[in-house]
Amino acid sequence: MASNVANFILLLAIFSSFISNLFFFKKKYSLSIKFFNYSSLLVIFSFCLLVYFFCTSNFSISAVYENSHTLKPFFYKLAGTWGNHEGSLLLFVTIIAGFGSLFSYLFRKEEMYHFKSWVIFFQNNIYLIFLIFLISTSNPFDMIIPHPQEGLGLNPILQDPLLVLHPPFLYLGYVGFSLTLSLVLSGLVLRQLDNNWASIVWPWVMIAWVFLSIGICLGSIWAYYELGWGGYWFWDPVENASLMPWLAATALIHSLLVLKTKNQMRNWTSLLAILTFSFSLLGTFLVRSGVLNSVHAFANDPERGVFILIIIFVITLASFIIHAIYSSRTISIGNNFFFSKESFLNINNLFLLFFLFVVLIGTIYPIILSIFNETISIGPVYYNTILAPFVFIFLLAMSVGPLLKWSNKINLSYFGFLFVTFSISLCLSILIIILTNQNQLALFLGLLTSLVLILTIIFEFVKNKLFLKAYYYPRVLSHLGVGILLLSIFLNGFYSESKDFEIQLGENKEFNNLSLKFVNQDIYKINNYLEMKTDFEISKDNQIFTLKPSVRRYFQPVQITSETSIKPTILSNHYLAVNFPNQNENVLGARYYFNFFIHGIWLGMFLIVVGGMFSAFKKRN
Amino acid sequence: MTDKVKKRLYIFLVSIITIIIIGKFILDSLQKNVVYFFSPTELYNSTELPNGLIRVGGMVKKDSLVKNGNRYQFIITDFKQEINVKYTGLKPNLFVEGQGAVVEGRLKTRTSLEAETILAKHDENYMPKEVADALKKSGDWNKKYGK
Repeated sequence: MASNVANFILLLAIFSSFISNLFFFKKKYSLSIKFFNYSSLLVIFSFCLLVYFFCTSNFSISAVYENSHTLKPFFYKLAGTWGNHEGSLLLFVTIIAGFGSLFSYLFRKEEMYHFKSWVIFFQNNIYLIFLIFLISTSNPFDMIIPHPQEGLGLNPILQDPLLVLHPPFLYLGYVGFSLTLSLVLSGLVLRQLDNNWASIVWPWVMIAWVFLSIGICLGSIWAYYELGWGGYWFWDPVENASLMPWLAATALIHSLLVLKTKNQMRNWTSLLAILTFSFSLLGTFLVRSGVLNSVHAFANDPERGVFILIIIFVITLASFIIHAIYSSRTISIGNNFFFSKESFLNINNLFLLFFLFVVLIGTIYPIILSIFNETISIGPVYYNTILAPFVFIFLLAMSVGPLLKWSNKINLSYFGFLFVTFSISLCLSILIIILTNQNQLALFLGLLTSLVLILTIIFEFVKNKLFLKAYYYPRVLSHLGVGILLLSIFLNGFYSESKDFEIQLGENKEFNNLSLKFVNQDIYKINNYLEMKTDFEISKDNQIFTLKPSVRRYFQPVQITSETSIKPTILSNHYLAVNFPNQNENVLGARYYFNFFIHGIWLGMFLIVVGGMFSAFKKRN
Repeated sequence: MTDKVKKRLYIFLVSIITIIIIGKFILDSLQKNVVYFFSPTELYNSTELPNGLIRVGGMVKKDSLVKNGNRYQFIITDFKQEINVKYTGLKPNLFVEGQGAVVEGRLKTRTSLEAETILAKHDENYMPKEVADALKKSGDWNKKYGK
């Protein structure tokens, strides 16, 4: 019954989406938009139904049966809705529809009604493709007969509050770029890709970008607290999959800026917008299809993977064809002076695309080789060694660029000013290097360049009284965030320490100026897992505190999750994770990490996101 | 040549050279940092032993694990050839005799390896594809490992 109702609603949604297309071709634009909105409402309703089924543990629905359990806390029942392939795809489709409807509701410029109907038309077709894919290969409302009494449960590693929010945010980001694509294609077809268009697109790109950034941050924070490996980023292909669209989108934002103010870089901007959505789709494909072995892979069904690949191919190809036909032939190379804002925004784009390219190669090269039966893996060293030198230059360009004027001569006063910040940073980084006795060139350059960026922004902020001008907040906050983030990454990378050791109850371990004592151990059996809780007493510099790491072994499916224990201090984190003891032994394996300046990493991410929010919601003239 | 053509040609040449330099840079770094995967049989049959970091995967042979403090010794097998592994450090929870494992380290001889890491896995059903293939051939394939 439940299943039939829901399926009927989905079919009705497809039907109205078709009708919307039909009206569009008959040039009845208002009806076309109306029917798209009906369809979108129906899909949103069906998603609410699925949420309801999950919350009430309706096991006649197979997706619920396979991913839920009556004993699960309500919060995770809710999260179970998108913790599986079918549900997450329905969420994906719902968000595409939601963005379309939101646009049709908020965009009310009568003189651009034609443009609006084209946007809805493109959005409707992206939506339709995924809706058909959903119903034909992964219907979330498939029925099971007879009804089981109990469900199979959700993967325990996913039962974490952060992970409840992580997928919806990432999806809002990924899918948000579908609207950007629709806007670009409409702009291309109607040849309205100009500064006016750029200001219409701006808030939509920013919103998607903010969501994607939050999603990536949540994933990173989760990895830090839950995986127990002491780090926040592992250059894992799954992480890279979300970083690639982020880099493309960040490049897009900066080229939009040029289009908005100078009415230049049209073709380039539209190309970037297409790339951004393609990389979002590629990210979804890599993560969900089971190509990569990870907690994220839902579809172990290769057929679905092939389907997603075909969809990516079709959407990207169609977009490129439209781009090729409609992109403007007159290339407007302005007489650009090198030390101008637009030329530095160009440089920004080249760098971001280079980073994107490096990440892309590192991510898909192993996958391509695996087709030829050769298995390789690419470690963090690859990314760090290639990216680092370019990041240094990038940071310097980032300090200089915003100070320059649009297509104008250099303002020499800024060079004196840059000289001051450069000298201060130079002294500071030399001081840090000497005091800590870490003679590493990479660390020195990293400190120097990120300090230059941070100080330049702060000085500029104070000198030009930018705090009075809300207009500058987005750029200042985000760029400051990038500076702090990279500074912290370098500090964290070079000053963190880690120690693996084995320890017995009551034993005392000493390393550096830290002593660590294993004082208590308890094992509990709770529902479907065994939990070992431990107490460690740590003393460092006359300061004593307790860390209580624990580890869980789930029975069905057998899986081990770590609950790390972290003691934050002003500059760093003491981080401890334990393993289960070996059989017939009372020795316990433990990993201690001293994570230096990790707060700076979270702060940097936070500022980047807040800057984006300011930009998305700031008043426009 | 007009100025415009000259300018274009100049931009074109510069970008080609940049692309070549960057491409070379990426390729070099890739070659240095790629870690190849071998099965014990592949290592046995290879004419030239790989230098640097490699990964070896297979089953941890039953009753082969010897522990001495935090130093471990065990045998990884694909039921045709075997590799002796020495490892110092923490043993991951899901590393058990008779189960699949992947180790990363450097070869000492054709049949012995000094491991730097035993790769942690998310769950016990995870199995590298090569190990799975090797096991399927030797008939020691248990259905619970999946497809």
